[in-house]
Amino acid sequence: MSPIPVGQIAPSQDADPSKKRRERWAIGIVAVLVAVLTFFEAHLAAVGGGVTFSSNIVIFALINLNVVFVVLLIFLVTRNVFKILLDRRRNILGAKLRSRLVLIFICFSLIPTMLLFIAATNITTTSIKSWIGSRVGQALTGAIEIARERLEQEARALSPPAGSAASALAGAEDPESFMRILEKTRATAPPGTALLFFDKDAEVARDGDLPAQVEAEILKRVKGIKGEALEKGAGTMIGDGVAAAWRRAPGGAIVVAARSLPPAEAARIREIAKAYDEYHQVRLLDDPIRASYVGVLILITLLIVFAASWMGIYLARQITVPVQLLAEGTEEVARGNLDVSLDYRSGDEFGTLVASFNRMTADLKASKGNLEETNASLTRTYDELRRRTQFIETILDSISTGVIVIDRHGRISMINKVAERLLLLPTDAAVGQMYRDVVQEDHYEAIRDLYREAGEAAGGQVERQVEIVVGEKRIAFRVSLTALRDDAGEYMGLVAAFDDLSQAMRLQRVLAWREVARRIAHDIRNPLTPIQLSTERMQRKYAAAHADDPVFAECTQAILSEVRTLKHLVEEFTRFARMPAPRIEEGNLPDEIRTVVETYRTSFPGIRWEFRQDGPPSVWFDPFQIRRAVTNLLDNAAAALGERGSVTVVCIHDEASGKARIEVADDGPGIPAGDRDRLFEPYFSRREGGTGLGLAIVSAIANDHGGVVRMRDNAPSGTVFEMVFPSRPPDKGKAVSAAPVVDDGRMEI
Amino acid sequence: MTAVRVVIAFFALALLGLQPVSSLAGPPFPAISDVSGTIRGGEARVRFTLRNAFPPEMVEALKSGIEITFKTNVEIERVYRRWFNRPMGQVLYTRSVRYDALSGVYRLHRDDGDELLPDVLAALDRMTRFEVVVPVTGDVEKGKPYRARVRTRLDKVGLSEPLRSIFFFSSLWDVETGWASGYLQTP
Repeated sequence: MSPIPVGQIAPSQDADPSKKRRERWAIGIVAVLVAVLTFFEAHLAAVGGGVTFSSNIVIFALINLNVVFVVLLIFLVTRNVFKILLDRRRNILGAKLRSRLVLIFICFSLIPTMLLFIAATNITTTSIKSWIGSRVGQALTGAIEIARERLEQEARALSPPAGSAASALAGAEDPESFMRILEKTRATAPPGTALLFFDKDAEVARDGDLPAQVEAEILKRVKGIKGEALEKGAGTMIGDGVAAAWRRAPGGAIVVAARSLPPAEAARIREIAKAYDEYHQVRLLDDPIRASYVGVLILITLLIVFAASWMGIYLARQITVPVQLLAEGTEEVARGNLDVSLDYRSGDEFGTLVASFNRMTADLKASKGNLEETNASLTRTYDELRRRTQFIETILDSISTGVIVIDRHGRISMINKVAERLLLLPTDAAVGQMYRDVVQEDHYEAIRDLYREAGEAAGGQVERQVEIVVGEKRIAFRVSLTALRDDAGEYMGLVAAFDDLSQAMRLQRVLAWREVARRIAHDIRNPLTPIQLSTERMQRKYAAAHADDPVFAECTQAILSEVRTLKHLVEEFTRFARMPAPRIEEGNLPDEIRTVVETYRTSFPGIRWEFRQDGPPSVWFDPFQIRRAVTNLLDNAAAALGERGSVTVVCIHDEASGKARIEVADDGPGIPAGDRDRLFEPYFSRREGGTGLGLAIVSAIANDHGGVVRMRDNAPSGTVFEMVFPSRPPDKGKAVSAAPVVDDGRMEI
Repeated sequence: MTAVRVVIAFFALALLGLQPVSSLAGPPFPAISDVSGTIRGGEARVRFTLRNAFPPEMVEALKSGIEITFKTNVEIERVYRRWFNRPMGQVLYTRSVRYDALSGVYRLHRDDGDELLPDVLAALDRMTRFEVVVPVTGDVEKGKPYRARVRTRLDKVGLSEPLRSIFFFSSLWDVETGWASGYLQTP
């Protein structure tokens, strides 16, 4: 048995097709043999005349063979029927249809066959009865009696010559005289008569010819003449084609006059006797004969029924096997196996159907392959697009510009995180919404005008600087609107880019203040020393002269005091204006901060100073500037608290993000909301005697370190200043994120 | 496997149903009786009688012209008390009878010659009483025990040719005796 290829479905019940083919051939041959043998045996009666004993041996063998074949046929058909029933019970696909077809075939064959069997049986029985009926018996009996009478007449006609010969032979003593007497007597007898002279059961003399078997028959008859018949002295003998009369001669010898009948007449009489014998035999064997014929009919009936059953099985299989194959193949296809191929070849419609199914699965497989290939290509394209989209989104999220994309219908299709943060828009809620539903009502008119203007602009681009209030802050934006058009010039949407100008404007202000401070310092510092020297000289030269006038002393002292104040102010401005570039080096940041904190712990014992650190201590920074920034922050905290309170200083180094963070939190009264916008601007201070440069310097140091400084409210009260800067500069090997740490609701510089 | 078991059970039941009903037929059984005879140098003459060999239907069949043939085995042996018996001769003897409807006689056929019998009684008498000559080898000692063993069976019921073919398997009647024996006289 050749292995079935993967995905190929062959008839399941025909696991071995050659075996099944052999079985079909066996059934067919057996059925034909049974039919032939049955026919031959059924017609033996017709050809029986020539059947010899050796032929009977052949018949014996054939009948046995026939029985064996019938049993074999019954076995094969029964086995197939049981197999179908078992398949049906096991719910094997196609078994129900097959059993139904077989049942129909059996019924269609059984009903007419049974009717035919009953009719044939009745006809046979009737024929046999009519054959052995009384009329036939009477006719045959009459015929045999007529034949006997005919022979008896012949025999009686021979009685006179036999008597005369017997009388003449009484005086004869030698064989010659016997012959003369017989010849003389035969001359007067009917033609064809033979005379025989027996003495002591032996033929003594004869005249006339007789067949040998007739002579033997006559001799037997003569020997049987005994007792009463012998006493009677005369009688007749009739037999197969012969008639004779005998007469006892004196001395106990017997003379027989015999004559053979003409062959044709003898043959007719022989046929009558044979028919008579057969009639009586048939009559005696009525039941066996009938049983024999019925047996043959049963055999033929069984043969027809089983042949029809087998034909039903065969035809049902012809129908159900391809149907079963198609059903199994369909199930396989439904399960997604498109490699299925039905192994069935036939020239009929089922063969065409199976071939079409195989072509269909092949086409489906090819289509599926194309689809999978297309899908893979699309997946690759999609992945590439997604990667690009993610790349673009990453870029858009990484840049400091807020970007919003609006489609042709005015629906927001994309917002980057910067735009989300700048405009305080939730991305998930905004994407897919109409832009007029998302923006604040105050901004709608301005944005709509820009929207319209961008759509109508010649280059499709409009750039404006606007100030809008976001939350509680008024933020200056540079807005750039670009209309998107396809190759055909069809409007596709709009890209809006928002740049927060607040930081730049602050830096510009800081730079301007630095320039102002430098000029002030330059213009004021120069006259201050002559003023101071001159005043001191005046005190030394004219103090004695105006000893009694306190005004002189007070005025000169006031001049010197104000000059010192101006010098201090000029010193601060100079320091602010001449902020040197940081000299960043690797150092222990917590130690530097702790040193500053310890200084303030000593100077302000009424305040509880707390210091915590987290993360590795090694950070790249300018120790001088950081100490100065922390000093300014602690100075502000101490000033805000007065005599009592607590200050918590935290130094955190987050290696994962590459950020160092310094937090200074106090539980003081906090900073009013109105002052927060200008908090880091130079010369802004609510403290008496303050120059307003402390937080500006902190902001400048943070910026010089590539970081930011933020302010937020402390809970439950107070303020938290947070300075964040990269723990390692980019040129020191380990990359750090340049993006500022953003925290909603925080003041960022 | 279930199908094979079912098929085997089916055929077993079918075979049980096909058991011959003839085995239920009752007696009388045919038998050999009155075995006797004489033995002398060269031959033994054995006489015996066949009983219950002709049931009524068989007699009726004989009257209807059916030929009936018996075959008889006759064995002669020297009997020893403390040793195996010694076979001395045997013969298979055939005798048949048939009614000739045309002649109105019963034709008895024997190995040693034919005989015409006028009626059925004479025919039955001839078919059941036997006197068979058996050639023997070896010396016959006077006064020593010699025994004849006889068995007869119905050889074949002779039917006309067409019926013979139809009833090839039908024996109609089973006549077969057991072995019967009788001592022979040594005159």
